[in-house]
Amino acid sequence: MNITGFELPLMLLVTVNAMLAVTTARRTAWVGLGLMIIFAALLEFHPTGSISYGLIARLAALGLALLIAMPDGIFTTAGFRSDLAPRQIVAALVAHPVVAASAVAGLLLGSIPLALPIETSNAAVRAAGIALLMIGVPPLLTSRYVEATSRAALVAISGTLLLRASIFGALEPIAALAFSAGLATVLIVGARVASTIAAGDES
Amino acid sequence: MSSVEITQTMAIVRAIFPLLVALASLGILPLMRHRAFGAEKDAGDRAARAAISLLVLSALGTLLAGASYASTAQIGQTLIDPSEPGRLMAVLGGLVFALIVAIGEGRRAGVMGQLALFGIAGIDSALALPIGLAPIAILLFTGLAIGGVAAGGKDDPARARAVFRDLRTITLLLPAVVIAEILRSTISLSTTDAAYATPTSLGAGAVLALSLAALGASGAFPFHNRLVRIFESLPIVGSLMVGVWIPTAISLIVIGEIATIANGITEPIGGAVVPALVLAGVVTILFGAISALLHDDIGEIIGFLAVGNAGWIALAAAAAVNTPADPSSRLLAVPGALTMSLFGLWLIALRRRYGTTSLLALSGWARKTGAIMVVMIGALIALVALPPGVIIGARLTVLANAGGPLAGLLSVIGQLALIAAALRLFVTGFTEQSSTVKRTQPLRANNPLTVALLVGALAIGAGAAGWFSVEIGGSTPLTPPASSSPLPPDVSPSPDATVAP
Repeated sequence: MNITGFELPLMLLVTVNAMLAVTTARRTAWVGLGLMIIFAALLEFHPTGSISYGLIARLAALGLALLIAMPDGIFTTAGFRSDLAPRQIVAALVAHPVVAASAVAGLLLGSIPLALPIETSNAAVRAAGIALLMIGVPPLLTSRYVEATSRAALVAISGTLLLRASIFGALEPIAALAFSAGLATVLIVGARVASTIAAGDES
Repeated sequence: MSSVEITQTMAIVRAIFPLLVALASLGILPLMRHRAFGAEKDAGDRAARAAISLLVLSALGTLLAGASYASTAQIGQTLIDPSEPGRLMAVLGGLVFALIVAIGEGRRAGVMGQLALFGIAGIDSALALPIGLAPIAILLFTGLAIGGVAAGGKDDPARARAVFRDLRTITLLLPAVVIAEILRSTISLSTTDAAYATPTSLGAGAVLALSLAALGASGAFPFHNRLVRIFESLPIVGSLMVGVWIPTAISLIVIGEIATIANGITEPIGGAVVPALVLAGVVTILFGAISALLHDDIGEIIGFLAVGNAGWIALAAAAAVNTPADPSSRLLAVPGALTMSLFGLWLIALRRRYGTTSLLALSGWARKTGAIMVVMIGALIALVALPPGVIIGARLTVLANAGGPLAGLLSVIGQLALIAAALRLFVTGFTEQSSTVKRTQPLRANNPLTVALLVGALAIGAGAAGWFSVEIGGSTPLTPPASSSPLPPDVSPSPDATVAP
């Protein structure tokens, strides 16, 4: 395994935050999603030397999209204090053992060099990618909660991009720009659709 | 500015002309809505007229720019090399959507025109970027964004659910595209290293993953519900762009990729891939046709006709695996998009006139509105591809190359049922007029919009039926992508490496 200094903690942080984005609600989920986006982008673009324009585009587009997509009234200190309490977070994760098991299975599967060119790829990035796919894809197929499913979509696409980056490296500038815009679209459209469906269900 | 710089700037303008027009619309349309240009109540009409003008400008400019070497630009490390199919779709799309927006009118006509502009720009750009499989992802994201904006006019949960279904599908298709990219990149490695799987099995895997992307995007079985919901709930411009035009561009990329992979492997890629694609194609055509015959809402019927069209894309993908050098599999995509656009034009003209989409309430429509009847005649000519020529020849070649006689027979039966479903729409127009139809004023023949509708419908129908040979441009192979290759292995010595004596 060619796990270098900062990749191992990033891999774990990406996975935990992806789990939070899918399993929790309200502030914890949005914070988890935001952190997952940042850590996944750092893993994907590997900013060791010069500044990557792809990384800047990704963080700027998704930061803006997060601000647009987040529900109103979410920024309250008391709300953050109660929602982000460690006990609450642990309870949410414990309540979803299947997601936790999927994440662990994804990390293990990704860490083991499989066939194909994957044996020359970056193990930490690959493990994080497969873990994110294992966390994000099942809710896409089964979940009835639209908002959580939209966040799962973002987790799954980030996992796909990490898996690709582990083998081919970071995206070309134009492709990186297109994917940044695409991920932002998924976030905004998902949030808008979720609020419309929720409003329709209530009425 | 030196002459070299002027040439380079012109090349960039030509290379990204549809995108430039789409971006310009972001400034022009709000400007046209401003009260400085007229009364507030006419703001929507002015915006719609501006959008229609920009669509025509985009089409004509793209036609003049062409796909030659002079339109190729290098921006940074990225080569933008417009392809002939991309340019053809941009030219035809600009004109077709200009007509649809003009006929559709309405409060959101300007926004719809803008969506069409961005959809066309997305198609042209994606087909101009030889950067591996990323163009498929660009098109999928463009489709999602257009669906999201098209659904945003009113808080309709049905529309939101259709877009949500689209979001789910696209998210599931992206891993398939990346898996195809990974498998494709390993084919060259497997020829030299026995540790890898065989080139044939890797090629089959890549083709299967790519086909999944094409089936999902175009709405073939088992993704047909997505397409039906889109046509049921989204405005017609959004439906056509998300459900037909963008999938057509994706299918052109996928079929081109499949042909390249199949060409590069000496043994035939068979296994379960071709039968799966043929089964999906046949089931899709039959399902679309039978459903179209059983439904009474013309929005749903057009959706099912689009599903039938998607079945031909699946069959074309199967034919591309078996006979990669044959251009017939690429020949059907653009005429299919034109045919469905004509049905969309008919739908929006009818809905605009009578305010309903129920076929029962529209009995006798053709006797009352002759101009709309001409649109349906154009659509029928396009669907049947009369007189028999290159399109029917391509369909038969695809059937012969894709599967056995049973699959061919079932596909022909399905196509005949699709034609029967369209004929049912036509014949309903000659039955006794319903109260809704009786109440409506007939169209004036000297109205410029009516003239545009007649001329446009006949031109689109003739183009889709192969009279002008426009479909040939869509069958030109795309620029081959730069082959992605895995990162080189880390060559730095590990700490525990020992030096050989």
